[in-house]
Amino acid sequence: MPEASGDAPVGAAPVALSGPERSLLQALRELETPSIDEESLGRKVELPADQVRGSLQRLRSKHLALLEEEHRTTVRLTPKGESAVAKGLPERRFLAALERRGGTLSPDEAAEAGLDEEERSAAIGVLRRRGWLAEGVPFRLKPGASTPEGPLPEETVLRQVGLGETDVDPAIVDALERRGLVRREHRSTKRWSASEEGRRLPLVSEGEELLGSLTPELLRTGDWRGRSFRPYDVRAAVPYATGARPNAYVAWLEEFEEILVGLGFEQAEGPLLETEFWNNDVLFMPQDHPARSIHDALSVEGTEGQPPAADLLARVAAVHEGRALPGATSALGPGWPGPYDVRVAERPVLRSQTTAVSARYLAARPTPPFRMFSIDRNFRREALDARHHIEFHQCEGIIGEEGLDLRHLVGVFTTLADAIGLHELKIRPSYFPFTEPSVEGYVRHPRLGWMEVFPGGILRPEVLGPLGVDVPVLAWGIGVMRLAMVALGRNDIRDLFQDDLGVLTGGTP
Amino acid sequence: MPRSTLDADRLCAIAGRTLAGAALDDLLFGSKAEVEAHDASALTVSVTPDRLDLLSEGGLGLYLQGVLGTARGLPDYRAKLEDTLAAGFTVDRSVDALRPSIGGAVVRAPAGRELDAGLLAEAVRFQEILHASIGRNRRAASLGIYPIDRLEFPVRYALEAMSVVQFVPLDASDEVGAPEFFRDHPMAHVYGPMGRAGDSCLTLRDATGVILSLPPVLNGRTAGEARVGDRELLIEATGTRERSVAEAVGLMLVPFVAQGWEVGPIPVERVGRERSDGAAIVDPHSVDLPSRLLRTLGGEGFSASVVERRLAEARLAGHPQPHGWLVDAPPWRPDLTTPVDVGEDVLLAEGVRPEEGILPSSRTRGRLRPETLFRRRFASSLLGLGLAAPHTTLLVSESAVARLGGELPLHIRNPVSAEFAYVRDRLLVSHLEVLARNTRHGYPQRLGEVAPVVVRAPGTETGARTRYHAGLVLAHEGAGFADAASLVDYLLRTVDVTAVREPAEIPGTIAGRAARARVAGEPVAEMGEVAPDILAPLGVPVPVGWAEVDLSALWPLVRPRTTH
Repeated sequence: MPEASGDAPVGAAPVALSGPERSLLQALRELETPSIDEESLGRKVELPADQVRGSLQRLRSKHLALLEEEHRTTVRLTPKGESAVAKGLPERRFLAALERRGGTLSPDEAAEAGLDEEERSAAIGVLRRRGWLAEGVPFRLKPGASTPEGPLPEETVLRQVGLGETDVDPAIVDALERRGLVRREHRSTKRWSASEEGRRLPLVSEGEELLGSLTPELLRTGDWRGRSFRPYDVRAAVPYATGARPNAYVAWLEEFEEILVGLGFEQAEGPLLETEFWNNDVLFMPQDHPARSIHDALSVEGTEGQPPAADLLARVAAVHEGRALPGATSALGPGWPGPYDVRVAERPVLRSQTTAVSARYLAARPTPPFRMFSIDRNFRREALDARHHIEFHQCEGIIGEEGLDLRHLVGVFTTLADAIGLHELKIRPSYFPFTEPSVEGYVRHPRLGWMEVFPGGILRPEVLGPLGVDVPVLAWGIGVMRLAMVALGRNDIRDLFQDDLGVLTGGTP
Repeated sequence: MPRSTLDADRLCAIAGRTLAGAALDDLLFGSKAEVEAHDASALTVSVTPDRLDLLSEGGLGLYLQGVLGTARGLPDYRAKLEDTLAAGFTVDRSVDALRPSIGGAVVRAPAGRELDAGLLAEAVRFQEILHASIGRNRRAASLGIYPIDRLEFPVRYALEAMSVVQFVPLDASDEVGAPEFFRDHPMAHVYGPMGRAGDSCLTLRDATGVILSLPPVLNGRTAGEARVGDRELLIEATGTRERSVAEAVGLMLVPFVAQGWEVGPIPVERVGRERSDGAAIVDPHSVDLPSRLLRTLGGEGFSASVVERRLAEARLAGHPQPHGWLVDAPPWRPDLTTPVDVGEDVLLAEGVRPEEGILPSSRTRGRLRPETLFRRRFASSLLGLGLAAPHTTLLVSESAVARLGGELPLHIRNPVSAEFAYVRDRLLVSHLEVLARNTRHGYPQRLGEVAPVVVRAPGTETGARTRYHAGLVLAHEGAGFADAASLVDYLLRTVDVTAVREPAEIPGTIAGRAARARVAGEPVAEMGEVAPDILAPLGVPVPVGWAEVDLSALWPLVRPRTTH
């Protein structure tokens, strides 16, 4: 952008004043009255009216002068109106001629009475509209009609206008204006004053040089001392700056993590590529569960998985097959139909639920009481639409300690819902292979209504037994993307994977 | 979730109450069924996978009876029908290798009643739901329904040479041979492989030699078609798993029981081996419910009378024991196998109320992982450098991977689309896509992201490792290797380490303008200038400098100095 003058920085144009502008601003600042009209101001500064008008407009565009406009309307007599005031209105003169002629007047006689054709015609129109004059010629008063004794309203208003009075009947003025007897004149008066900025602006004497940018040279030499800097028009457009700001979704996830930390949860993490053992088997999901099929989970090729530790594998296989755990006398349950296949357990899949992280955490035998969370990516073969994404975040959480029951899970749901500003919760039964009982928490959003948000339950003995955990464990997996969509006002889940640099830099997409 | 459309009038008749849509919604909120759509004559319900019984008018009706109080406790469905059936199924060894399991039950209409069109339609529809769900598309179990007055017991289950099998398929009027049936019939094309082995196929024949069905494909018309007016039916299932077969038969009973039909077992004799009276399939099964388990699941407050009332509402029978209850569950509730399963039913019948929620009283120390804090520090540094912060997917497109060349990252075996077909092993794959999508915004463009990648790691548990990278790209006139390298140096300085750069050949970069940085001999970063043959097709008109710091590699090197 070119600089306005001198070497001022781009985008911060100094306020440059011409000589007339400076004079006018000075005069405005010295006014003893709040404002002044243009003519008077012109006389004060002894400048031609055109130059005064132009300079004042420039001061106004620089926000240094303020303009107030007063609009006034006055009514004046036209020459025809002045004649009517002097001679009387045509209708008055016509009535007088009629009276003089004994109540009958021929057109010729009317002409002889000093009324020209236009006046005659106007008088006849008025008198007939008022019901005084009978139809036809010769002209005569209607029988029984009473002519006015005092002045007509039009005569009164004409007289008032002639005297310069302003409080006159506007309807009669309208009628007189239509007859060409009066005219309305509209006038506006411009009154000027100095704005707050105009009063503060340092005015230097003619010829004095203002400083532009504060240069290293000025600083070094001290030449800035005793001099004025050219002020900038701080309202002028500046260059469009871009920068970085935190990704809104990532920032929201981090806030949610902080909420959980505040509730005493420690964070855990697991691999995104898991074996089916950790993703499903250890969670007591049957190996032929429909959700494990090729239609739901994403498997990868070009890599081979390894079995987990032999003792853990044996324990998980035992519960799947309905056998007692090694060292135990009875089975935890009947298990699932069909044999347990270790080859299935070794298959690598992209993690489909962060519950796998919980399983790994529990396998490390944490000391009760414990609370763990993990907010991370999962992957499922979802068809992409506004509410589903192949890649999604889940907030996994578990709490393990003696004495826990379902009411504690409900308490956690209520607390988390409150923390994100959703205060109405209801709970209904649900089903997950790894929890029993299983519930689903719904929260009411003020705009979107009830939303399924908190699925969870108490981990089954078939999950805890093989992992060697002997306290009740509450578990849940929240669809945080859905919550984020609500919190961030997004209608499409795909918008959470934001890569538009316009949006990311605070500009427009 | 599994779903079905039910006849509203029949459901209300069973429930014993006329129920409008909203009332039904409220009643079912405490159940594992949900009304998805409702009109005057039909309602569509979905259920959780463990409560398939609720997908029939009979099953849902029995549940509603319990909730509404029109009937409670375990329905009295068991009849002494054994006497009428001296023989049931005889099972030939020939089926062992292909489809060894078989089970069944007899259902008989109450006096003055018979199979009506509504019950027949419900049974057929429910049968198909069970095929698709616990039947695992008929592999684990498939069901058949037959009129007992048109067949003679015992029914023989065997693998026979197709050449000797003739029958009239259920949907035909003429007799066909098994070879033609397996060759031509659409059902045989889908399910045939499960019911044949070479030139033989599975058959169910009655004592007179009439074919009831070719499991698991299709019934025969002569003795395999249940019709309106029938009063006694055989319900049969074959499959690869004993338990799935038993569960399928048990669930199939519920439409009949809800209409007051009696149920009896079918004996199964395996030729030359064991004989079973078949009662285990139709009898209630008992599950222990210890009092202390209820306390563990739902806290204190479950008195004996409350538990027994809730069990009755759940259509179960609870028998008090010194430690709790022994609960009888019907065969259409195969989800009730362990104490926690029954405990859940009691809890859900009692209701779960948000206002009763409490927080655990113990105190634990919450914390983020040090690695997370480490990554966040880098993300902040990238922001501080003025780099825009995209959030990109781990899965990347085939074209994005092909563009960069080099060793391919892990490929998804069953991708939903080519757009998400690979697992990225470096962020550059994603970030070039970002640049391509933003060419309209003008330059300079600078972006950075801390995000995961997955790299091959043969010999590890999954053959791959998840790693976190801090990636950046700089696109503007004059951008290049030096820009990227200087930012890597800066980022490393923020964690008080200095790297040594060495020339490297990195796919996607200009030869001679790429480097790898090492700290203490470990590679921790790569950087370079993106090759023009990559930028031009993307429409990126300016040079691009790129760098990626492997935070997973760097963390162990700096951990002692960045954790407290």
